[in-house]
Amino acid sequence: MTKHFITLNVNGTEHSVYVDSTDRLLDVIRERLGFKSVKEGCGTGDCGICAVLRDGRLVNSCLAIAPQCDGSRILTLEGALEDPVMMKLQERFAANNAAQCGFCTPAMLLASWDFVRQTPDPSTEETKAAISGVLCRCTGYYPILESVREACKEAVKA
Amino acid sequence: MPPFDLYSPTNLRDALEFKESKGEGTVIVASGTDLIPRIRRRQTAPPVLLDISSLQDDLRYIRQTDGVVRLGALATITDLLDSPLFRGKLSVVREAAEKFGAPQIRNVATVGGNVCSASSSEDLIPVFLVLDAKVKLISAGGERSLPLRDFILGKRSTALKPSEILSEIYFESPSGRYWSAYEKLGRRNILIISLVNETLTLSLEDDLLTVTSVRIALNRVAGRVPALAEKTEEFLTGRSLSGETIAEAQRILASELKLTSDFRASAEYRIEVAQVYLKRLIQRCAARISGS
Repeated sequence: MTKHFITLNVNGTEHSVYVDSTDRLLDVIRERLGFKSVKEGCGTGDCGICAVLRDGRLVNSCLAIAPQCDGSRILTLEGALEDPVMMKLQERFAANNAAQCGFCTPAMLLASWDFVRQTPDPSTEETKAAISGVLCRCTGYYPILESVREACKEAVKA
Repeated sequence: MPPFDLYSPTNLRDALEFKESKGEGTVIVASGTDLIPRIRRRQTAPPVLLDISSLQDDLRYIRQTDGVVRLGALATITDLLDSPLFRGKLSVVREAAEKFGAPQIRNVATVGGNVCSASSSEDLIPVFLVLDAKVKLISAGGERSLPLRDFILGKRSTALKPSEILSEIYFESPSGRYWSAYEKLGRRNILIISLVNETLTLSLEDDLLTVTSVRIALNRVAGRVPALAEKTEEFLTGRSLSGETIAEAQRILASELKLTSDFRASAEYRIEVAQVYLKRLIQRCAARISGS
């Protein structure tokens, strides 16, 4: 199997690694580079737990083959923690118990963050659609939707 | 994951030359939203993947020229949603894109990949079928065009030759008393494989009742392949729309569908839904035509 030499910019830092044809973006980010907020759930694009922002777009990192991502700019939760909107989202998630087991929380925060920044005053239906690609098996989603709504409100105020 | 080699071409010519010499057994990958899960589930085991995702400059576009809408194979579902072309008579494209996957999937999944995957879970194929779309297939030796209905040969089977790449899907932009609409039913609203999806385009005479032309496609018509419901189309063409006409069309559609039950739904249930959707789609399109 061929080796590929790729360069990824993850959370603002360049990383160059050798990868196999079959390595996924997820494997590289989590196992090789150590960004543990990115997790494997289903591995087939159904659960969204491996979501990252690739060149500004929310994607499932389990579906991208690493060699395809050469030159990409990747953002994981670790790289967005200090952002004011993300801080507000985290605060609302904590206040509303929007995380129970916590497994989906990094992906849920990233999906919510991506959405809040683009949609300042969303409807409940729009919010549901925005986080629909990330599955949560604990919360029943309502605390999450509430948290996103509150964060949007405060983002508009600020 | 089962092993495979990946070739990343430097440009379109390089990709076509690779297909020319090593096309046999090579599978094209763009975003991988369909292919990677299939490889992981051991449903397919291609020895070599040709990665065309880097050919954005050549293959990612949505444009309208001389009344023809052209979608580059690498246009994503999100690109369809962002395009102003699908807000009027062609809103069927937008409706299907809104119900497609989830944001993470829509951001990368491509129209070319959806068409080439050729299965009943590909939500865009019925849409492109009712638009009488054609596909442009390019190779090192030249190019050819084929109506989409002739391109899809069966479940996960297309007329694409080993030396070819699907580069574009194109169709005429409709005019006149015309509208299009889409319905999809799954076990949940978003990120779900269609049990039934049904697409319809309708053109009416000036009396707003007589059907000039109609196209109806479903994700399954016979077996598990998206296709046009030609007998129902034929019945409706030239007829005046009434409750009776629609009821008869529903009966014809039911007799035309040769479905089998599977773990997602029974054949009877799918047929029932298809009939309800037929009426709903005709009414929605007729209402929009009358209103515009």
